[in-house]
Amino acid sequence: MMALAQMEQSLADRELARAAGRGDRAAFAALVERHYDFIYRVSWRLTGSRTEAEDIAQDVCARLGVAIRTYRADSAFTTWLYAIITNAVRDAGRKRVREGEKISAWARDLSITDTGPGDGPAEALWAAVRGLPAKQQEAVTLVYGEGLSHARAAEIMAVSETTVSWHIHEAKKRLKQIVSVGDA
Amino acid sequence: MANKLNDDFDILRSTKVPQPSKEARDRALHAALAAFDDAAENNAPRTQGNASGGRLTDRTFRFWREVMQKKLIAVPAFAGLVALPIAGVIGWQLMDELRPDMTLPNDGASSEAAETTASGHLGRRVAPQSAIVEDSGAFVPSAISPRSVISGEALIERSARPGYLPQPVPMMVPSSAPSDGRERFANGDTNPLKVTAEAPVSTFSIDVDTASYAFVRRSLREGVLPLPESVRVEELINYFPYDWQGPSSASVPFNTRITVMPTPWNENTQLMHVAIKGYEINQTAKPRSNLVFLVDVSGSMNEPDKLPLLKNSFRLLLDKLDSDDTVSIVTYAGRAGTALEPTKVSEKQKILQALDHLEAGGSTAGEDGLRQAYQLAESSFVEGGVNRVMLATDGDFNVGQTSDDDLKRLIEDKRESGVLLSVLGFGRGNLNDRMMQTIAQNGNGIAAYIDTLSEAEKVLVQEASSSLFTIAQDVKVQVEFNPQQVAEYRLIGYETRALAREDFNNDRVDAGDIGSGHSVTAIYEITPVGSPARMTDELRYGGARTQGSPAGEMEELAFVKLRYKQPGEAHSKLIETPVTEDNVVARFDEAGESERFSAAVAAFGQKLRRSSDLSSFGYDQIIDIANASRGADPYGYRAEFLSLVRLAAALDTK
Repeated sequence: MMALAQMEQSLADRELARAAGRGDRAAFAALVERHYDFIYRVSWRLTGSRTEAEDIAQDVCARLGVAIRTYRADSAFTTWLYAIITNAVRDAGRKRVREGEKISAWARDLSITDTGPGDGPAEALWAAVRGLPAKQQEAVTLVYGEGLSHARAAEIMAVSETTVSWHIHEAKKRLKQIVSVGDA
Repeated sequence: MANKLNDDFDILRSTKVPQPSKEARDRALHAALAAFDDAAENNAPRTQGNASGGRLTDRTFRFWREVMQKKLIAVPAFAGLVALPIAGVIGWQLMDELRPDMTLPNDGASSEAAETTASGHLGRRVAPQSAIVEDSGAFVPSAISPRSVISGEALIERSARPGYLPQPVPMMVPSSAPSDGRERFANGDTNPLKVTAEAPVSTFSIDVDTASYAFVRRSLREGVLPLPESVRVEELINYFPYDWQGPSSASVPFNTRITVMPTPWNENTQLMHVAIKGYEINQTAKPRSNLVFLVDVSGSMNEPDKLPLLKNSFRLLLDKLDSDDTVSIVTYAGRAGTALEPTKVSEKQKILQALDHLEAGGSTAGEDGLRQAYQLAESSFVEGGVNRVMLATDGDFNVGQTSDDDLKRLIEDKRESGVLLSVLGFGRGNLNDRMMQTIAQNGNGIAAYIDTLSEAEKVLVQEASSSLFTIAQDVKVQVEFNPQQVAEYRLIGYETRALAREDFNNDRVDAGDIGSGHSVTAIYEITPVGSPARMTDELRYGGARTQGSPAGEMEELAFVKLRYKQPGEAHSKLIETPVTEDNVVARFDEAGESERFSAAVAAFGQKLRRSSDLSSFGYDQIIDIANASRGADPYGYRAEFLSLVRLAAALDTK
């Protein structure tokens, strides 16, 4: 039933996006409204900072305003949107690196400065997730953060399901090392 | 333990994402609508997407799954996990250094939004649409997000700064993507030994590709011996510039130079080294060019060593073009789109801008893109000039006509109409080398693998003229060995280029093209009659056949024939060169520098292919030969080769 709901949503997205692409302002507003939380959530998972995620989400929204005209309904809207989000996150990361921050600092420390509500074991684990290679981090974000199936995450990342499973598997292995090091 | 971890992992699901502030949300929605409105003012109404989209997507995923199910998953070493992300970020930095800063002047409408946000780098978030104004009329750009909000950056003067070229730094993929079996290579079994009495004639098409060398280099730099089937020895040899004298007039498109020298790895055989050097077109006589960049912007191109490297590579190439030449850009991902209509190079800013706006995302619809690129190339066709599609991709055309054969037919058709195709491969993990070979060979273009900006510089700048201007087409080589002198022979490399004996004189059979100033080398290992290295027994009745030959010809080792067509001509011409005692040098050291160096490369390539002939010939010996024949090496290619041999020696523990 989850799948069915998703399918309906995805069809509606496609319709809205196509209308927006034709210049329908109301459709575009509805589309952004509907997806802002997704954009923000993914940005937050990938950066671990609220302000950073807000900035990136705004960046993505502005990009969308232009890019929507090039959207054609041959890939799922979320897949398309996701590519824009990860591009924006990467651009932001690159920017940081250029601005002189240490590479590792951008991956890890940010999460400590601004983890949001509480800093329990889950938040600590998320902080560790942000230290993973980008694709593993994205896979974990979609599967654990967004609660998507591997198949759905694969669709969004434009890779195969087995690749997502592999990323998750690698991420777990890596986290296991980090966690056990922490215990010892 | 495993269970405990799984539980630990599940708590990831329980984390709450801190709510975004309402202000941030409002600002974002506002920015979205502002950008939307700006775009509406400057964009003409656009056509709509195709109805078959859903089907394409389904097919893509099915294809992916089929491939992925077969693959082996390599588990990277722990060190790899740490090192790769860092290398990736360094790569990014390098790429970024080549571009000016992205900061933009704000425009009035959105500056307030920029001011109210926390971090300081928000200028780019606003949406100045000045760049879009240049789009005229009904022309519809359709890259995933070609008109992103950072479009204003293109207004800033940006040159590719060819003076600043980083040393070859491997731009690795930061994610340790599974190094799976998705890379497909075109290669045949190593050419077998031929007995001259049974098969005195060897025929092949020349090959000017170099993709295999770059692939080998990348693999070694990552600490892995390349797959034997990824090594095409002739491409390794032809990677290097050699100092052979080319012809002085265009009427004879090339010189041949043949040397017979002792084989370094076998004292009882000889190497017959055939070098062909093409005529070099001088810069003032350059024909006009009509280039279509066909750029893969699928999701997988979203890596620092793919799309960003590609953009910088094309910037380099742009500097080599004349203001009268035309450039267009077609992108393909989920669908194909024209990102830049044919534009004169004199409007360089416009081209750079279109290039900058390419963004990656979605699946791969190569065929659509290819058709569109051909259409553009034909629309601005330059009679008598260079009409070429330059395809840049990291892998598959996995939507549409996926079979290599279908693609081949399409490309052959277009080749007839005068539009050629070159392929530039980027990145790793998804590279479909076989596809690259198929389409470049059939499109009469080069296939090069670009892993670093300096490689792009070599292919697109140093060798721009040879990559672009064809001086001879359908170049075929046929060698007839004299069984009185040569008992056995073996062609080193060219496994994918073999032709049937009768194809040589058949002008309808396609073969490789030679560009301006190109050099092509083929090396045979030959076993003289009476040599102890002979693998087969002499034929009891074999001697009688050549008895009728005149005495002078009995002394010849071989007879080399080259067939080629002048560009645009239907009938081929023939160049014949006998190989006699005059071509033979008694000691390896007496052979020319270039000959010796190419022999070292041939040895290296065969070793990487695990050829049993070279099992007792060490890497150190290859290094000795290469070191002694390094020559001037102005671009450091040979020095780099030496470092690769050392790497391979360290990695090859068997």
